[in-house]
Amino acid sequence: MIEVDALVKHYTVHRRPPGLWPALRSVLRRPTETVEAVAGISFSIAPGERVGFLGPNGAGKTTTLKVLSGLLHPTSGRAQVAGMTPWRREPAFLRQITLVMGQKQQLLWDLPPSETFELNRALYEIPRAQYAETLSELTRLLDLGRIAAVPTRQLSLGERMKCELCAALLHRPAVLFLDEPTIGLDVSMQAALRAFVRAYNERFGATVLLTSHYMDDVIALCPRVIVIDHGRLIHDGKLADLVHTLRPEKRVAVRLSRPVDGRDLEGFGRVAERAEDRVVFQIPQAEVKDRVGRLFAQLPVADLTIEDPPLEEIMRDIFAAGRVA
Amino acid sequence: MARRYFRLLSAQLRIAGLASLQYRADFYADGAMSIFWLAVNVAPLLVVYQRRPTLAHWTLPEALLVIGWFTLLKGVLDGAVNPCLTAIVEHIRKGTLDFVLLKPADAQFLVSTAKILPWRGVDVLGGGLVLVFALTRLHRLPTPLQIGASLLLFAAAVGLLYSLWILAISVAFWVVKLDNLAFLFSSIFDAARWPIGVFRGLWRFLFTFVVPLAILTTYPAMALLGTLTFRTGAWALAGAAFFALLARWVWTIALLHYTSASS
Repeated sequence: MIEVDALVKHYTVHRRPPGLWPALRSVLRRPTETVEAVAGISFSIAPGERVGFLGPNGAGKTTTLKVLSGLLHPTSGRAQVAGMTPWRREPAFLRQITLVMGQKQQLLWDLPPSETFELNRALYEIPRAQYAETLSELTRLLDLGRIAAVPTRQLSLGERMKCELCAALLHRPAVLFLDEPTIGLDVSMQAALRAFVRAYNERFGATVLLTSHYMDDVIALCPRVIVIDHGRLIHDGKLADLVHTLRPEKRVAVRLSRPVDGRDLEGFGRVAERAEDRVVFQIPQAEVKDRVGRLFAQLPVADLTIEDPPLEEIMRDIFAAGRVA
Repeated sequence: MARRYFRLLSAQLRIAGLASLQYRADFYADGAMSIFWLAVNVAPLLVVYQRRPTLAHWTLPEALLVIGWFTLLKGVLDGAVNPCLTAIVEHIRKGTLDFVLLKPADAQFLVSTAKILPWRGVDVLGGGLVLVFALTRLHRLPTPLQIGASLLLFAAAVGLLYSLWILAISVAFWVVKLDNLAFLFSSIFDAARWPIGVFRGLWRFLFTFVVPLAILTTYPAMALLGTLTFRTGAWALAGAAFFALLARWVWTIALLHYTSASS
């Protein structure tokens, strides 16, 4: 459904040092430099897949999404979405995709969302019967209730985002580009939107490419992740593989029934955290069984849990180290 | 295709109308302002003609024809062209043009029909009344051909104004901030309230060929008076068509330079 081959996107940006003199000088001569937003990435996504697109701020995620949705022309490289070249912006292509941006909105500010829905019906030439059916289904899935009849400016951020999704999906696109769709939402609204995206994907077999800084979004929705940094691809594979490859250690959290001396904790693994009655060890996966046995035998263990390191922590380590797989 | 765009136009105009009716106080206040500006448009002319019977061979009723077309055109400009095109600058700056470009319809059409101010219809109505009043004072009833020619030239004038706006707006894709563009445009357009014969030398050349204000109001008035030659009318229409094509070409190039605001 999505094929990307050696995609490159450069921007020319104006840079000048702070201060009055550089500002005056830049009136006559503007120093510019080329920023490599996307530096030759390649990947392919099958129909119906849900893929997380991760990277730190400025990694090139949004630029890639905008190229794939036809908003930007790439500097070089090839991309096909639903069998078409995005930046030609053919109507047949635009009818197959949607781009939802958590920080921008298409809803008409002064009018109820229902008017934006109606306008999109006309723009996408959705037959009335299909429109009524899709709208009723999306209203149910998103639990819109009567909010579509309230002027957009009077809705909460979460309610607006729900309506944004509805407006973006009325034409039943086969490819969803979701750029930080849960940004700024409270935890329950985030969970509701995740459930909706999953339900839409399962109901319509749509392909989903999602960027988010909330790792819970990625864990809940994306069996596969593509990680980029400085415009370069650094991981493409299962989310579980990313965790195991980059952090071949488990977190073993132990609650102790009485305090112990620091020397008693040696030899079990690296101590990642320590509180009065709680210690977290990082232990190589292959040795977890053996070390856990020893922990029970040698320490006053009241409770013990084994878990993967948090995805946020793994991502932070990747980007801090700038490592390339 | 034409049917699809006609349907889209009605959908866009419906939304634009609904949006402008959302604030009742604004609606009435702006309606009152439109009547005030109509009076202001005629005032300078009355002051000038108090001291002389003609101005550049134009009598007061003849000059009122120019004012009539000017007011009519101003109504269309302020009511339909300016609001849409100033909104584009904001779309480019905020990156919300993304949503326009994602729709399966011509982006220029969508941005050009997205916003209207219905109370500017007062200007259109007022302009029509001034035209009728001027013709009554002239004691003449134009022939159907003259009315047809003046309406055709008026349509060309609207197209020309729109094209000039698109050309100016396209600059926003490169320089992004163009806050004063509307003021600059309105100031230049203001000169179209006078018959082109009033201007001499460089100004006349400028307002005929570079910023062709003559086409906007003087030529439709001359068509109603029966003093416009076929050749001049044809050149005016060709000029308007040229600007329309140029504007379309520049807009297409400008879209390639759209970088979208980062999120």
